[in-house]
Parts: sequence; structure tokens; C-alpha cells
Amino acid sequence: MGNGYTGKILKVDLTTRKIEEIPTKKYESWGGGHGMGSAIFWDLCKDKTVKGTDPGNVVTIMTSPLSGTLAPSVSGRTEVQGIGLQGYPTAWFTRSNFGGRFSTQLKQAGWDGIALLGKANAPVWLNIVNGTVTFEDATPLWGLDTRETQEEIWANVGDGGEDGSWSEVGGARDAGRTTQRAAVLTIGPNAEKYGPLAALIHDAGNGAGQGGFGGVFASKNLKAISVIGTGGVDIANPQAMMEARLWAQKYAYAGHADNPNTYVGMQGMSAPPGNAIRMYSDGVKSRPQSCVGCLRSCRGRTHTGSGNESSCIDFHWFTPQDKQAHGGIITENTAAATDLIQRYGMNASTFMAITLWFQDLIAMGIIGPGKEIDSNLPFSAFGTVDFARALIKSIAENKDIGADLAQGLPQAAKKWGRYEKDTQSGILPIQEWGYAHHYDARTEVEWGLASVLGDRDINGHDFDFALYWTPTLCAMQGKEPDVSAERAAEIFAKKLVPFNDPMMIDYSDEGIYSDGIVKATAWLVYYGRFWKNSILYCDWAWADFINPYGPDFEGMTPDGEPKFLNAATGGNLTFEQGMNIGRKIWNLDRAIWVLQGRHRDQEVFTGYTYDQPSMGGQTSFELPYTLPVYEDEKWSFKSVAGRKLDRKKFEDVKTMFFKFEGWDPTTGWPTRSSLHGLGLDDVADELEQAGKLGNAS
Amino acid sequence: MSDQELKEPNQFSRREFITGVGGMGIGAIFAGSLARMLLLPDDVLAIPASSGYLLVDTKKCAGCTSCMLACSMTHHGQSNLSLSRIQVTQDPFGKFPDDIGIAQCRQCPYPSCVEACPTGAMHADEKTGVRTVDVSKCIGCERCVNACPFTPGRALWNFEEKHAQKCDLCLNTPHWNHEGGPEGVRACESVCPMHAISFTTQIPVQSDEGYNVDLRTGTPWTQIKFDGAVGATGVAGSGLKK
Repeated sequence: MGNGYTGKILKVDLTTRKIEEIPTKKYESWGGGHGMGSAIFWDLCKDKTVKGTDPGNVVTIMTSPLSGTLAPSVSGRTEVQGIGLQGYPTAWFTRSNFGGRFSTQLKQAGWDGIALLGKANAPVWLNIVNGTVTFEDATPLWGLDTRETQEEIWANVGDGGEDGSWSEVGGARDAGRTTQRAAVLTIGPNAEKYGPLAALIHDAGNGAGQGGFGGVFASKNLKAISVIGTGGVDIANPQAMMEARLWAQKYAYAGHADNPNTYVGMQGMSAPPGNAIRMYSDGVKSRPQSCVGCLRSCRGRTHTGSGNESSCIDFHWFTPQDKQAHGGIITENTAAATDLIQRYGMNASTFMAITLWFQDLIAMGIIGPGKEIDSNLPFSAFGTVDFARALIKSIAENKDIGADLAQGLPQAAKKWGRYEKDTQSGILPIQEWGYAHHYDARTEVEWGLASVLGDRDINGHDFDFALYWTPTLCAMQGKEPDVSAERAAEIFAKKLVPFNDPMMIDYSDEGIYSDGIVKATAWLVYYGRFWKNSILYCDWAWADFINPYGPDFEGMTPDGEPKFLNAATGGNLTFEQGMNIGRKIWNLDRAIWVLQGRHRDQEVFTGYTYDQPSMGGQTSFELPYTLPVYEDEKWSFKSVAGRKLDRKKFEDVKTMFFKFEGWDPTTGWPTRSSLHGLGLDDVADELEQAGKLGNAS
Repeated sequence: MSDQELKEPNQFSRREFITGVGGMGIGAIFAGSLARMLLLPDDVLAIPASSGYLLVDTKKCAGCTSCMLACSMTHHGQSNLSLSRIQVTQDPFGKFPDDIGIAQCRQCPYPSCVEACPTGAMHADEKTGVRTVDVSKCIGCERCVNACPFTPGRALWNFEEKHAQKCDLCLNTPHWNHEGGPEGVRACESVCPMHAISFTTQIPVQSDEGYNVDLRTGTPWTQIKFDGAVGATGVAGSGLKK
């Protein structure tokens, strides 16, 4: 009887081309995914202040005990970490993750994760076939796009193949057989040329976009990792796993596709019909498409093959342009542009910021031939795939303005002399750390606070779906949400273990500077660090607070998360204990950032956050913000659009947060006491040695 | 191995009869009292029909492979795509609907796997007619594996436990305490989030069309824009119009 882990982590030294096994047991207390990745990085990265392109950088690619199991909307995700290339002005130790089936194949091959060290002396790709790992020559692949690369590797490894027949893996009868294709994680063509924008891509539409890990791979001369396995994921209690899965089916959005209810919310994006309605042009036929084991099926595959497996921002970066150029409707240009960005392996999120900014720069007469920003890109074709191709190619080939954008969006803006003024006005939608504006720190304040105190856009939709999207969409449609603000506060208070404070969802002008927002932010980062990024519950399905198919609209959190985990591990971890591990991981990450030079004075947003009122337009999808507020001793949904953040009050909130964590409020650095309480004495030692241990007083 | 390769010139081959190439409906022949004993064209006695069959709708499948994970877990205690008795194959870059294939055992009315077995390990369950393996009799010759006329083969070699196996409609799921089989509940069907797997006690027509069915009609599936419905960009409430 197993515990969901395979028992070993693959350590790959690209410099020496040596393979070692790390016993998973050593890191099991971190859960998996991000926690294990941070701990391994801490142990193996000798100098944590190096740049992401330095051979000393360590990249981890981790699974969880639930990867490759029946646990829903978790099984297919993989976590990637290391020092990135995207963060600005400092490229922090950061993370990204992606869906699909890579984690399942990696587990089936017998590995809980991969740690990549060093730099190969020539282009290589890693070929993992069960327990056998070989370095293959990637010279012929280096200039290929992500699809071409995968198809070349599939032809090479001889897996299940196109006809779906059984294939012997490893060449021996009892080595196992599969009908499946190898799972390949790859970078785009010559990704070293556009590192901060370079993603890791798997299959048609799974990407680890944020962080610039494609550029990190390229710096290590690593083109791709292919894995095919025929082993199983052995769990402690299959009966409990099956029962849990059937329990979760009752909550499943996808499972109700035959009989959907009328709840207004983001299930239309993160579950069928999702992208099928929203992102494909008229007449396109499609199916829903899932990551392994998922109950959501939020992507599609089409009869044209265009737009396959992409979702959300993969399309959104182009939809405003497409609509603008084509009478307000989405045309085939969107899916075609989406395919391009996937095949080139670039970060769609950054492209959304680039193109929204360009729209304004074009209108202002600032960009174009002979203009302030001199460029011969075909701006007259803005909104067509021709422009998308020209823009992407210019970056990939370092030509025209693409040569500057390839160094990173904020870097290009700086070079063009526009960073300060355009982030002050807000037409350059970057709110923190050089990442594209996602949800607004002025309105969904816990999102912004978690991002600016972290390493990147936090990308945690836990509160967002139920508390922003549903009331906002309802307000626009003139409907009352199925769940009132008062009931939402009751449900959230019940489920926000361990704080259980309804004031955590008070988005009033007072609430966003209160103890409630501090706890909400702490909850978001602890939950994210453990349940979401370590156990790898998918952000688009978990946390599950309000669920139209649950009893009295109550979702599966906090019962679901440990239910599946314990079925796999055989343990009895509580939800709260998981949150405590999340806090430990958050503190370890914080320590790494401190070693990289983090100080609270850097943790500020760009100017428009404080000086411009929040409004739609900083992203392609934002709508006037309607959120729950507690005013005059009662709960209601209210528009908070138009709000600015008060600089002093926000600094006070940061101070409250640092004290909440037991960190030094003057620097934001963890203290010996706070780290000791989490069992991180060795981390305290290293901070002290670097002169960066917070002062307890 | 294709059916065409096995066909004798100007003859009606057993395999053609079995797989129903050309639309031959063995289900119609087997329906009713004829099902118990029937002399096939090459003088082999038919065995009792299975009392249940899995049906799939490949256009509805989302490719999550939950069915495979559930099959292997309930039968073997581990989630292992290679040990699943139902296989979902897919091409991420493929074009709908040809991007996905679902290979479920057809519980063939005339099962090549049973006929090929030299020991009787591969047999029809006495009570239910379900074609399944008595592992204690399996000698590992893999004749059943090679005899299955479909790609991928529905009889498979369990390389860990060293015996052949195939879909038993969950008659024997040691790791799932639940009544399976034709009168119970099947794991793959239970966990499919898209309801793309169904079950029938009626013998399907012996062609792909008999086993690959439309489970969408009668549901709002078309209204939500899958499979042939016209895409509706910018629909009310999409929230995506800037």
C-alpha cells in the first residue's frame, strides 16, 4: 500500500550530465509541489542571489501525492520554481504551474519531481522512460516551435503513437505498455532571445507562462523534457478515494453540463461551455477538454484544431484587438493568434499588457514608423493575426521593437522613456514587479497585497470568483445574486479556516485597511502555498466556497482538500494543519526573497494604483467592481469602482501584516522567533549570516 | 491487425461477422432466444451473450482519463493508465472529433479473446456472460491479447501481475466495495464528469456506431455550443465585451 508518492525525486546535473535520486521522504513534510520545490531549492541552490540565467540557479518541477490520481481538478497540475527572469526590478525566486498530463506521466514513470542544476555544454533534451533517463541532442530541435518539438520527440520516443495502439515501453514485455503519448514540456524556438517572456509549454495549450522559465530552460541549454511511464500511483486508500470522488461529482460543474442551473458566475469560464462559447468564432465545433482527472473541463478542442486546449488569458490577450478590428465580435483571428503564442512559447499575460498599452500608444501617435517609439510593425493590421505574427516574430527574432520587448516589458518601457509616466497614468498596466495587471489592487485588495508582498501576480481566484465576478455580473444583468452578501459572509466565515472571520470579505473603504484584509491576505497566501501550489489543487476549481450544486450553495472547501489528500497518503492531515504548512512555505519563500534583497520599501505598487481611480481597461476583461461590503452594520454588494489606494493607509496595512507574521515591521524581514516557531531555524541561521534577520522588537 | 487482412476472398469471415464490418448487425441476430447457441460461419459455437455493454460518446469526452484512473484503481489499487481496461487516446493537436478515441471492451457476442485462450482463463462469466479472465488459469501466452481485432486491443497484458485482463464491467473490483457488473455500477461510468460513458443491457449493433453513441441529444449540450452548434461570441452576460 502506497501513500501517493513514488518515493524518489530526479536530480539532474546538466553540467556533469549525472543523474541522482533524492528520496522523497526527506521532503514529504512539505506536502509536494511548491513546498518541496522551495525546500529543495533552499538546499541545493548554494547562492540564492544569482540571476536566473546563472548555471547556479536550481529549477524544480514538482508533482504532489494527488498527481495522477482520481482527485478532481488537481491531478494534472505541475509546479515549476526557481529564480525567474520576469520580475522587475528584481527577478525574484518565483513560481508558475501548468495543467495537462505531465505530472501524471512523471508519477507513472516513478518520479515525484525533477530538480535541474547546472548548464549543459550543448543543447539537450531530457528523455525519461520510466526509471531510465537519458540526455538527447537537442541541436536539431532548438529552432523548432513548441508543437514541432513535441511532434519530433513523439516520433523519437515511440510511445502510444498516432493510431492509439499499445506500445512496449522500454522494449521488454514486462516493462509495461501504453497507448499514451509521452508528455513533453518544452520551450519555443531560440527562447534565450526572449527569456523574460518565454514560457514552458506542454501539449497544445498548457503553459507555465509567468516567471520566464522558458528563458531559464534556454539558459541551461535545455530544450525539453519528455516523460512516459507505465507505473502506477499507489495510494493508501482507494476505497476512500473513490468515495471522495463520487462525493465531489455532486459538486461538479462539468457533471451538470447535461442539466446546468442558472447560477451567474465564472463557471461559464472555468467549466463547460467556457471557452467554447466565448473564444471561438462563429461556426466552430468543439468538445470540452480537461486536464487529467478534472471535473471542470474548462478548455476545448476544435474541428479546425485552432485554439486547442487554450484558455482565458491565452485568448484574452488578443480579444480586444480582434473585436476592435471586427465590429465587436471575436473572429478566427483570436484562436489563430492564440495558437501562435503557444507555438512560440510566450507568456500571453505579458502580451495582454503589451497590446493594451500599444492601443493607447497608437491612438496617441507615439508608436509607429518615425514616431517616438519607432517601429515598422504593421499597426494598420492591429486586430488581425498578421499583426500578432509580426509582433511575436519581432520578439522571437529580436527585430524592430521586438528586440527591446524581448528584454521584458518594463525594461522596454524604461528604455523608451515611458515606464514612469505610463505606469503613473495607468496606460501601461503593470501594478507590481513588472507583471501585467490582473485583478486590481485598488478593489480586490487581498489580491494586490498578496502580489506585492510576494514575487509575482498572485493569481489566486479564491475570493475573486464568488465575491467579484458573481455580484458584478449580476449587477450588470440587473439580477440579485443567488447568494446574498450576508449569506456569502456567513459561508466564507465558516470556510475560512483557521481565521473564520466574516470581516475578511469586507471590501468597504474601511474594510480594505483593516485587520480583516490582513487575515484575508494571509489566508490567500497560506492556502495558495500549500493546498493550491503544493498539493496542486487547480486555481480554477479550488478553493470552492460557493457552489451552486452544493447544499445551500456551500462548496467543498474546507472538507474536500484533506479528504482527497488523506485518501492518497493514508494520513489524517486537517485543513488547518495544511494552512500551517502553507505559512511555513510562505516564510521560506520570504526568506529567499530577503536574501535576494527584499525590503518593505520596495513593496509598493506603480503610481496609478494610488493616484488614478480604478476602472475597466487595465485588463481586457475587467468590469466595474461590485464586491461585498459591511457598512452601517449590514452586508450588501456595492460597486467600489473608482477607488484609489491611500498610500499611508496601505503602508499601515503592510505594517499590520508584518506584525501578524511576526516579522520585523521596519524591514519586512522574518525574525528568528517567527522562523523558529515554524521549525525553520536553519533558515534563520542563513539570514543572520547574511545580515538580514529581522529585529524582533 | 486489420479486419481486412483476415478476410478470405468472397467469404464471410468470422472476424468480419464479429466486428460487424459493413454494418452487419449481429445484435439483431442475437437478440432474443437465439442468443444462447448459434452456429457461426466457421462452425464454432457462440457463447452466452454478455448481459451488459459499455457505450461511449467520443464527442462528449473531455479526455480527462478519469475513467482510466478509476478502472485501474478499483481493480488494482493504483491509478495506472497502462492497467486500465478502458483506454482513451488523444492527440492534443488533433481536430475534433478525431482528436479522441475511446477504446472500451465491446463484450463481443463472439469473443475472439475467449476463443483464442488455450486454457479457458479467458471466459464468459457463467452468471452474467461478461467476458473476463480467471487469472489462476492464465499462462501468459497473450493469445487473447493478440486475438482482439480492435486497436488498441481490449484484452491487455498486466505486466505487473503477469496475467491477461480485460473489462469485466466491474464484476471484480477488490479495491472498491461496491456492487459492480451488469446489475451494479461501473467505475468508469460513475466517475465520468461529462457523462460520456453509458451502459446498456441490449446488445449494440456490432459496428463503431453501435458502441459510439449520442449521449448529447436530449440535453442542453447543443445549446451550450458544443458539437456543431454555432459559436456565440459576445453573448449576454459573457462579461467579455470591453
